[in-house]
Amino acid sequence: MGSLFWFAVGLISIYGSIKLGVGTLREPGSGFLSFLAGGSISLMAMVIFLQSFLRRGELLVKLSALWEGVRWRRPVAIGLILVAYILALERTGFLITSLTTLFVLFKIVEKLSWVKAILISVSISGVSFCLFNYLLKATLPRGIFGF
Amino acid sequence: MDFFANLIAGLSVVLTPLNLSFCFLGVFVGTLIGVLPGIGPVGTMAILLPMTYGIPPTTAIILLAGIYYGAQYGGSTTSILVNIPGEAASVITTLDGYQMALQGRAGPALGIAAFGSFIAGTLSVIGLQAIAPPLVRVALSFGPPEYFSLMILGLVILTYLAQKSMVKALMMAGIGVLLGTIGLDSMTGQPRFAFSIPELLDGVGLVPLVMGLFGISEVFLNVEKMVQRHVSSTKISRLLPSFRDWMESKWAIARGSAIGFFLGILPGGGAILGSLVSYAVEKRVSKNPEKFGKGAIEGVAAPESANNSATGGAFIPLLTLGIPANVVMAILIGALMIHGITPGPMLLKEHPDLFWGVIASMYVGNFMLLILNLPLIGLWVQLLRVPYSILFPLILFFCLIGSYAINNSTVDVALMLLFGVVGYLMRKFEYEPAPLVLAFVLSPIMEQALRQSLILSTGSFMIFLNRPISIGCLIVAAGLLATSAVSFFRKRTIEKRVDVNG
Repeated sequence: MGSLFWFAVGLISIYGSIKLGVGTLREPGSGFLSFLAGGSISLMAMVIFLQSFLRRGELLVKLSALWEGVRWRRPVAIGLILVAYILALERTGFLITSLTTLFVLFKIVEKLSWVKAILISVSISGVSFCLFNYLLKATLPRGIFGF
Repeated sequence: MDFFANLIAGLSVVLTPLNLSFCFLGVFVGTLIGVLPGIGPVGTMAILLPMTYGIPPTTAIILLAGIYYGAQYGGSTTSILVNIPGEAASVITTLDGYQMALQGRAGPALGIAAFGSFIAGTLSVIGLQAIAPPLVRVALSFGPPEYFSLMILGLVILTYLAQKSMVKALMMAGIGVLLGTIGLDSMTGQPRFAFSIPELLDGVGLVPLVMGLFGISEVFLNVEKMVQRHVSSTKISRLLPSFRDWMESKWAIARGSAIGFFLGILPGGGAILGSLVSYAVEKRVSKNPEKFGKGAIEGVAAPESANNSATGGAFIPLLTLGIPANVVMAILIGALMIHGITPGPMLLKEHPDLFWGVIASMYVGNFMLLILNLPLIGLWVQLLRVPYSILFPLILFFCLIGSYAINNSTVDVALMLLFGVVGYLMRKFEYEPAPLVLAFVLSPIMEQALRQSLILSTGSFMIFLNRPISIGCLIVAAGLLATSAVSFFRKRTIEKRVDVNG
């Protein structure tokens, strides 16, 4: 499966490189290196596909062992929280978004006590806001509330 | 004479309050993240990279280098006390280090790890100081074909040393090269693979890529399974190794230092390979190989010396050729470029203060680390008790701010998350991220060297074969690829024979 995905990536980059212009050997174009890279990705993906086809028996055993005992809830929840952070950051501002995100991670995902979750979230987001905003002079998003 | 004059020049740079405090900060943070499993020097350096914008370049590199070699010191603490390596380069230390802790000898194990690291780290800096200047003179004669072939060799060595499949590693290198082409073409100004996203016109950032592949993916891997850490309850007393411990370890430290240093120079070799090889060598030369794995002090001294020594070796290709030997060095290249400094043979001539300042900072940093790691060992042990449930939201949070702060763009944060998911799946399916990152960093330099070479030769690939250094590199690269292919088919034939014979 993985090798087929990479094979497709290789083919798409070959197509994209041709559209960009591969150029000639005397005057290589913008798509020259990406064309070579795409070609080698496709070639390697084919080799991996053949290797896994030849060893499909042991591969199936390996694949099932790969997902054994995986607790999906946590990585999926974290992924969704990070997506929400990206979407909210510039709208609600750094301080509120960070505080909420940390609180959700500590309280809902990790089930810390209310006091611990609030204390850690407030102190970490506050300290990092001061560090980045005042000390490192980074422009953090202020959002609709202005902070 | 030059050796000492350069050292004094370097010390005059590092012994300023600003550089000294950042050197301390670097080794302190390095030890901290070395002790804490779940975040390594690569992720930490990527997080701190945006913070170095406001400080002078020499100070920035002193800080980042300190994190790198400091992490090698800290990594041994968890290996010995918890049986979980804080760093990949300390994996092998768990075999004898943890056994020593179980036997009530955690103190001498931690002590020899710190002293061995100090001795090896210092020796490797002496080696770096001795080898770098003559190598710079050789590198100055390199043209685009030599650079291109050298980078090809570097990538092939890196994939050859890959822990899993070489084919997968080669493919990852291809992906890295492809990602490196995203953005405006430096020669024609044409946008490439930017998909009408203005932020992508500057290319994919190194920080979101590294943070995603190493930081976020590591968090995903750690949270998907509940990992319990048991800190050895043995009281740590008598950190100073006995006379007998020293006698048993002295050659292990010497051999580990030499092996680590030379393997550190190789692309992809670095601290991990150095520690593994030095352990294997010690076991082989030992009069009592059966002691290994049961608490042999040489089994701690050798790999810990090797992984520290490798950090000095890894600086050689970076400072002399501008080619990173590992992902950490790739981040250092990124840091130098942010400050408008091109790493390579001209670095010594154009920025001698940076060159010698960074080297001298390693002497000072190694000394600081010895003090940090022996009297303060109790503090690091306490840190091991911080649960991962508190640690990982902080890692995630600092990755989020770090990636945003580079360009004040949520596109970088989104890219980081995307690379995090890709990195998680890659690790699951045994694709190594290191070749991808190294190829990504080398891609623009490689592209320029390739195109310049072809323009110089009016389209003839013979330019790579007509020059001795270039053809030498390509022959070695081809040899490594052939060796790998032969060993794959040999292995397959043996497996078939075993299957037939039942």
